[in-house]
Amino acid sequence: MDGAPTTLLDISGLSVEFSGGGRTARVLNDVALTVAANETLGIVGESGCGKSMTALAILRLVPSPPGRITGGRIVFGGEDLLQAPEQRLRDVRGHRIGMIFQEPMTSLNPVLTIGDQLSETLIKHLKLDARAARARSIELLKAVGIPAPERRVDEYPHQLSGGMRQRVMIAMAIGCEPQLLIADEPTTALDVTVQAQIFELLRELRARSGMGLILITHDMGVIAEMTDRVAVMYGGRVVEEAPTADILSAPAHPYTRGLIACVPDLDAEEDSGADLLEIAGMVPSVWDLPKGCPFADRCAEAMPRCVAEMPPTSVLSAGHRVACWLQEGTGP
Amino acid sequence: MSAPLVSVRDLAVHFARPHFSPLKPRETVRAVDGVSFDVAKGTTLGIVGESGSGKTTVARGLLRLVPVTSGRIVLGGTDITALGGEEMRQMRRHMQYIFQDPYSSLNPRVRAGTIVRSPLDVLGIGTPAEREARVAELFAAVGLRPESQHLFPHQFSGGQRQRINIARALAPAPDLLVCDEPVSALDVAIRAQILNLLQQLKRRLGITYLFISHDMAVVKHVADEVAVMYLGQIVERAPRTAFFARPLHPYSVALMSAVPTVRGGRERAARRIRLTGDPPSPIDPPPGCRFAARCPVAEPACRQTMPELREMASGQWVRCHRVEVVGGTIRRPLD
Ligand SMILES: Nc1ncnc2c1ncn2[C@@H]1O[C@H](COP(=O)(O)OP(=O)(O)OP(=O)(O)O)[C@@H](O)[C@H]1O
Ligand SMILES: Nc1ncnc2c1ncn2[C@@H]1O[C@H](COP(=O)(O)OP(=O)(O)OP(=O)(O)O)[C@@H](O)[C@H]1O
Ligand code: SF4
Ligand code: SF4
Ligand SMILES: [Mg+2]
Ligand SMILES: [Mg+2]
Repeated sequence: MDGAPTTLLDISGLSVEFSGGGRTARVLNDVALTVAANETLGIVGESGCGKSMTALAILRLVPSPPGRITGGRIVFGGEDLLQAPEQRLRDVRGHRIGMIFQEPMTSLNPVLTIGDQLSETLIKHLKLDARAARARSIELLKAVGIPAPERRVDEYPHQLSGGMRQRVMIAMAIGCEPQLLIADEPTTALDVTVQAQIFELLRELRARSGMGLILITHDMGVIAEMTDRVAVMYGGRVVEEAPTADILSAPAHPYTRGLIACVPDLDAEEDSGADLLEIAGMVPSVWDLPKGCPFADRCAEAMPRCVAEMPPTSVLSAGHRVACWLQEGTGP
Repeated sequence: MSAPLVSVRDLAVHFARPHFSPLKPRETVRAVDGVSFDVAKGTTLGIVGESGSGKTTVARGLLRLVPVTSGRIVLGGTDITALGGEEMRQMRRHMQYIFQDPYSSLNPRVRAGTIVRSPLDVLGIGTPAEREARVAELFAAVGLRPESQHLFPHQFSGGQRQRINIARALAPAPDLLVCDEPVSALDVAIRAQILNLLQQLKRRLGITYLFISHDMAVVKHVADEVAVMYLGQIVERAPRTAFFARPLHPYSVALMSAVPTVRGGRERAARRIRLTGDPPSPIDPPPGCRFAARCPVAEPACRQTMPELREMASGQWVRCHRVEVVGGTIRRPLD
């Protein structure tokens, strides 16, 4: 990117806990992330690592109780959203920060038409009247590539294919031209040819409006194609963060290396069928996180120190930081 | 190549849609519409294709789990298309399957050991003592701890549950294992463990696989031969190496180019062949090439006549009017 990017979102020290049965689950631990205008940040990691929870926390939508944001700052447009009154948050959500949730079917209301759902946000945030909102809804459906938008606007979610529903979700999220769009696995349930269309649309939107984008995925190929920077999450922590090119060419955290190497490579000249690299075991339970490195019980390079103490974050190069004992003191 | 273990000819599985209006003719879902393939013993045929293309229905038809509209299915020399009752039941021990969802395919109230033993009980294989020994052997083969036989499905992780499914499928020592998206519901790290396990079983036991996936890279990793489905038909079938080096059908080319890859990154996205629209419905599909509405190189003739599946080079079959052999080399319309 050229010039000094303007930081849109600056998260630091974000922690989220869930409690139940007298126990505490540390779902997010000291998460720090930034997103600049016109930049795409990818968040990647296995299921349960805290990707969606990070997105929910940004909008203060962590279900509470049993969840609770226990610390940190989320500075958006110069304002700490964690300190802002609820009234203010309502203006931010869906207006200045758009969100595409992980499950499209659960976030569209089955008994309202597509047009009603789109209009609702436009009327609320942009104070459009019903007619203008409908016209704008049709425009939005067209912008996201839905054929015959004048007809589709009066249809119900179940009448659309999965790809079209996801496009409606995007239309809703971008309706108020947000400065930041959070897309949580926006294409996981879709075919790759449809995914390609959705990504194309997101790239266009970003280029046109200069919005920042947070893209949550578990697919390293998607990270490579779509993002400028990437944060790898594990056990509710960001274990590595770097410009995408750096992380793909020189991943420093053993978990990141595993995530890249454990999937078959479509670009390989010839796949010998040799065994894939495995990451043994599974993600730790948030109810029972170890006191040292959360990856220690699966890490082939773990040392006694890893189990005993949380690894500090080392800065390897500009914008490349990693939390691993192997990298301690290796920075510039 | 040795005689095929599985041979499927012109398989069709159609579903009648419920009547919505007495004035309109009854609609037919042509879920599978004239599919032919062979799978040689000890090899893997990978089937790829988008959602709704008919992959699962091919598997269910082959296993005779849905009524077959027409066609012929031969397993190990026996025509099983019309086999009934007890005979079909006996055939089932030779053909087992693993379905996509490791969660819903296991009865939550039955212990893992009993689940794995159930095909032996149902098919009446072995004495009780032999069955017990077999279950222990299977738990070891799929990498589950012996003591976990006494646990219930919810006490296992997703990857472990898929291992239980695999152990159950292996119990009657089948020749053919049909895997329908066996790793799609699993996390990437667990996916590698299960793919490795399936490959090891193939090497050790000589199992023949029909492996269904929408993930091109996974199919490239496991398959010896690849079939690409589109709207109920195979549009391309070829040996793995030839297929991935140079897919011939415009849909195969587009499908492969749509996959984001770590090495490809943005350049790959920029070179991508863009398809518009969603796959059309298999309900009363139009005549002509089924891909014509989305094909970037369609010609008017494509909409009129259905292309045949033609062999363009040894083992390389393609269903497209515009793929042709010129001067001994195969010319693709998208070149
Ligand atoms: N209501 C809840 N009570 C307790 N724990 C919860 C609750 N909701 C989520 N969690 C836990 O928070 C952790 C992070 O969940 P999150 O949804 O952020 O994961 P994710 O990285 O988005 O995973 P996925 O890839 O599966 O979407 C998980 O371990 C989850 O079990
Ligand atoms: N029992 C049924 N009755 C009517 N239509 C059916 C039935 N089973 C499948 N179909 C239809 O047949 C077509 C093929 O479905 P199938 O499940 O075989 O696709 P698939 O390739 O496995 O898709 P996916 O990748 O989503 O699993 C779809 O249009 C589906 O809706
Ligand atoms: S800190 Fe230790 S256990 Fe954790 S990733 Fe690094 S080497 Fe592995
Ligand atoms: S027959 Fe025509 S429409 Fe069909 S794939 Fe070939 S070129 Fe495209
Ligand atoms: Mg999530
Ligand atoms: Mg299927």
